[in-house]
Amino acid sequence: MKPGSTLRILLAQGPAPALAAAGAALAWLALAGDSYTIRLATLAGAQALLVLGYQLVFGHAGALSLAQGGLFGLGAYVAALLSLHVPWAMALTLPAAALAAMLVAAMVGVAVLRLQTHYFALATLAVAQLIHLAAVNLETLTGGANGLAGILPVVPRGWPMLLLVWGLFGAAGWMVARVLAGLAGPVLDLAREHPQAAQSLGIDVAALRFSAFVAGAGLAGLAGALHAQVVGVVSPDVADMPVMIGCLIATVIGGRRAVLGAALGAILLTHAPEWFRFLENRHLIAFGLLALAMVIVAPDGLAALVTDARRRLRPPVTPTSAPAPQPPTVARAAAPGTLRLESVGKSFGGVRALDGVSFEVAPAEAVGVIGPNGSGKTTLVNVVTGIIAADAGRISLGSETLRDRAAYAIARLGVSRTFQQAQLVAAAPAEDAVAAAAWRRSPRPSLPAARAEASHWLARLDAGSDAARPCGALPAGRRRLVEVARALMARPHLLVLDEPGAGLSRSERAALARHLRAVCAEGTTLLIIDHDIDFLAACTNRLICLDRGQVVADGPVEAVRRDPRVRLAWFGIDHEEGAA
Amino acid sequence: MVTAQLLVNALALGAAYALVALGFVLVLNAAGAVNFAQGDMVMLGGVAAVTLSGLLTLAGVRLPGVVLLPLVVVVSGLVGLLVAALGFWPLRDRPPAAMFVATIALAAVFEQSAMAFFGPEPRTAPALWEGAALMIGGVAFGRQPLALILVAGLCVAGVYLLLERTQTGRRFRAVAQDRDMARALGIRAARLVVGAFALGGGLAGLAGALLGHQFFVHAGQGPAYMVKAYIAAAIGGWGSVPGALLGALLIALFETLVSAALSAVWAQALLYLTLLIILLWRPQGLFGEAIGQRA
Repeated sequence: MKPGSTLRILLAQGPAPALAAAGAALAWLALAGDSYTIRLATLAGAQALLVLGYQLVFGHAGALSLAQGGLFGLGAYVAALLSLHVPWAMALTLPAAALAAMLVAAMVGVAVLRLQTHYFALATLAVAQLIHLAAVNLETLTGGANGLAGILPVVPRGWPMLLLVWGLFGAAGWMVARVLAGLAGPVLDLAREHPQAAQSLGIDVAALRFSAFVAGAGLAGLAGALHAQVVGVVSPDVADMPVMIGCLIATVIGGRRAVLGAALGAILLTHAPEWFRFLENRHLIAFGLLALAMVIVAPDGLAALVTDARRRLRPPVTPTSAPAPQPPTVARAAAPGTLRLESVGKSFGGVRALDGVSFEVAPAEAVGVIGPNGSGKTTLVNVVTGIIAADAGRISLGSETLRDRAAYAIARLGVSRTFQQAQLVAAAPAEDAVAAAAWRRSPRPSLPAARAEASHWLARLDAGSDAARPCGALPAGRRRLVEVARALMARPHLLVLDEPGAGLSRSERAALARHLRAVCAEGTTLLIIDHDIDFLAACTNRLICLDRGQVVADGPVEAVRRDPRVRLAWFGIDHEEGAA
Repeated sequence: MVTAQLLVNALALGAAYALVALGFVLVLNAAGAVNFAQGDMVMLGGVAAVTLSGLLTLAGVRLPGVVLLPLVVVVSGLVGLLVAALGFWPLRDRPPAAMFVATIALAAVFEQSAMAFFGPEPRTAPALWEGAALMIGGVAFGRQPLALILVAGLCVAGVYLLLERTQTGRRFRAVAQDRDMARALGIRAARLVVGAFALGGGLAGLAGALLGHQFFVHAGQGPAYMVKAYIAAAIGGWGSVPGALLGALLIALFETLVSAALSAVWAQALLYLTLLIILLWRPQGLFGEAIGQRA
């Protein structure tokens, strides 16, 4: 593949640069390709499918799995055994291999996906090693170290196989790209980088990770089966560590998330021995060093470099999202219930963060929570929204019990929240961050429709000018507004805000208080934590004061303000708080 | 009396694993991330021992193993510095997974370099203590396992004293507990982290040179050692130094006994299965986690 012309085509603006590049590659293969070149290009396609699957697991779900190579080997062996023992079912070998890998991944995933990164990596490594051990030692089945020979392909090797493999990659890549170009793109980014925020929108992060892991395994199994059919033999090498390392390195070099990256990384990995022949047997050293350099310098891989270059040559025209005809309202049809806390307790080690907290918040009531630092305000939010589990007491919303429910399940009851440290994907534009809140709606809106609604919510909070700016570039106060807009777009019955006014100017705070009043008037219950009593007085009617995990005052704003216990907690213990 | 020999062999293997696991945990605590190249640092230690003794023999010098060891440790310590310079330093402000991936790439580079320049065939490192087996109470004990236990025991004790009894050790533990807080208190965290890499490299290289006599040295053996250290750290409680040492001993005992009773293949398979069961049953390790939220 001539690098010059391919590059120019990739750089060209338009809907079909990928097709043009593929066409050029095919034309070049047809003109100059001998059988060896075609075989190599076919193997690159199988590798590209493997990497595409790994992008789902590692790039999109953020799970550092080390089982992808083992699942590739599993697919290869399943295809080999089927073609040797059940030759009449040739057509089924590819789906069967993919299914086998998905089945194993599902069994493993149920158990290990909840583990943290380092344990997850180790557990998947152990699974891969077990697959390899089985390949070496179950000699009657797998032929042991010698492997199995005489594997037949579903279509003749050469051009038909090449077209099948790359056709499958094209189809899978197109599907992945299509899904990611929709609302799933921002949602997956949020679930990976800020799982708690994703859960607060009702997104079941564990289920997403599981789906990505199993889908990635399916592609690995398919890739393994195709590899076995191209080569004609399998040996335990197809399930060994180097396959996994190669896959990881190709993913890092090509790019963790872009479909184009899967193709680039795989082509480079399979052609490196050919293209870097002058390095003799040292091309793998160079390849490892290249991967290391990419991790350090270009963590999003070659695909991102290509995309950046393209964007620099011809900046894309940002489509102005058509505004929705009607400004959206917050309230949902169903009547919200009363939030009720009864003797709720939570301890961290010896510290009682919440100690017998009881109160009620009626539907469409607006309640503020104040208290000095460390009085348990944020713990209260986390316990109500299910981010952490209470040790004692009862929490309910209407007839539903909230305690011991998963955070995403609580969110699905119509509870939405913001975080003290805004949890937004830094690279995502504000409108995408807000649009993610539409994920749980049925029917699920398209990304443009969700964006249009999102820009309305931002505009309603006077943050409309930030819609297209990446969240990471916004000042802290504006980031909180984006979070408030996201929480509103989830159309909650109960909206819990953790210091929404911090980082805003006095006039911005006053405006936010006005907007929150309006939201409340539309029927949404508000529970707002803040240090600024004036801000709370402007948007709520009732204050609850927490001190050392206990409710020390609860009543109308002015009464709580004058309460001596509140004055003691507020001014007697922490002077700075009153001034802030 | 087969059991006594088995136990000494298990203890010798465990002592070597303990060196690897100790380096792994020190780097883990300091940098807050997994060093996937730890196993290939063991392999490079073995390669260094074989190469150095080969070069010295060519030059007509025949050094006993005891003299060779410090040289190997120095070379491996430099390898540790290299890992710190490429796999940790440029990525110190990124999520831990970045260092994980970078050290996987480094491990591949080490392995392929050894394959290209040292050759794929297994070779034997010089013995630490040569000679016929010692007869103690009518039981024959190999000299190399005994020497291994002695050297590894001394090194582990040395590192333990360093951590527990010196100001550097105290600073190091502060960094492991909370890097930002330690930095705010004026501790030069980066230096300690780089030091941990050098120490971890030295310990890994030592293990490689010690094991290289009994178990051969070959380019592809790195991942197996890395997995042992990783498992030792996971079952011993993530980040706990004594836990990792105990974990290493348990793994070696498990491997030696199961190999003797069934076969080496079963020893491996059952080790992985046991690990999976432990991770599912107690994700915090057998003895509880020393540090949380790390990768």
